[in-house]
Amino acid sequence: MIATVSRDAAVLVTAAGLVVATAALARTRRAPLALALLLDFFTAAALLRLAAPPSWAALGAAALTIAIRQLASRGLAAARGARHR
Amino acid sequence: MSLADGFGEQNLEDVVSVLVRLVEAAGAAIIFVGAVIAFARFLLVAFRREGLDPFARLRLDLGRFLVLGLEFQLAADILRTAVAPDFTELAQLATVAAIRTALNFFLGLEIKEETELVRADKAAAAPPGTGAHPP
Repeated sequence: MIATVSRDAAVLVTAAGLVVATAALARTRRAPLALALLLDFFTAAALLRLAAPPSWAALGAAALTIAIRQLASRGLAAARGARHR
Repeated sequence: MSLADGFGEQNLEDVVSVLVRLVEAAGAAIIFVGAVIAFARFLLVAFRREGLDPFARLRLDLGRFLVLGLEFQLAADILRTAVAPDFTELAQLATVAAIRTALNFFLGLEIKEETELVRADKAAAAPPGTGAHPP
């Protein structure tokens, strides 16, 4: 029950992330911002997928999503910090 | 008759299982609600002209919901260790707990950095001489 609901919720959150990132890109023309928003929503979706008793594949996918998110957000933060200096 | 038999080990497992599901569902609900609120606020903010980066606050709030949801999910992981699982379940539990703990740490770090950047943006956007200082 929880597994089905959380997987459906994860799909919804992924779709919301795609909409938000596309709209943010269209509105601001700032690709790093759109990417950061997309990764935030994808992380939420990965966490929702982990809520159900996960398979090894789901665990690997969640770990990979979160690793990519960390890498990208570190890069974006470094670029932003350089602009502020 | 052992103590485990008398107390009903199966009963204990059932109670813990229900608790785990409740706490885990609460964590998932918090994450989902956070994402829905972020989406709704994005729709409100996206088409409004604002001086400061309107998305920074939105990301901060979503991050806070994620951290809160993660805390609940970690609590569920800890509860799961109360009943002895088999080795595969234990390995999966350890992996999930490691992922969640690492993410919790990095999210906390990001929220701190993002808060400082929002303050710096605010200070830079304030006209000189207004005495706008971050709280």
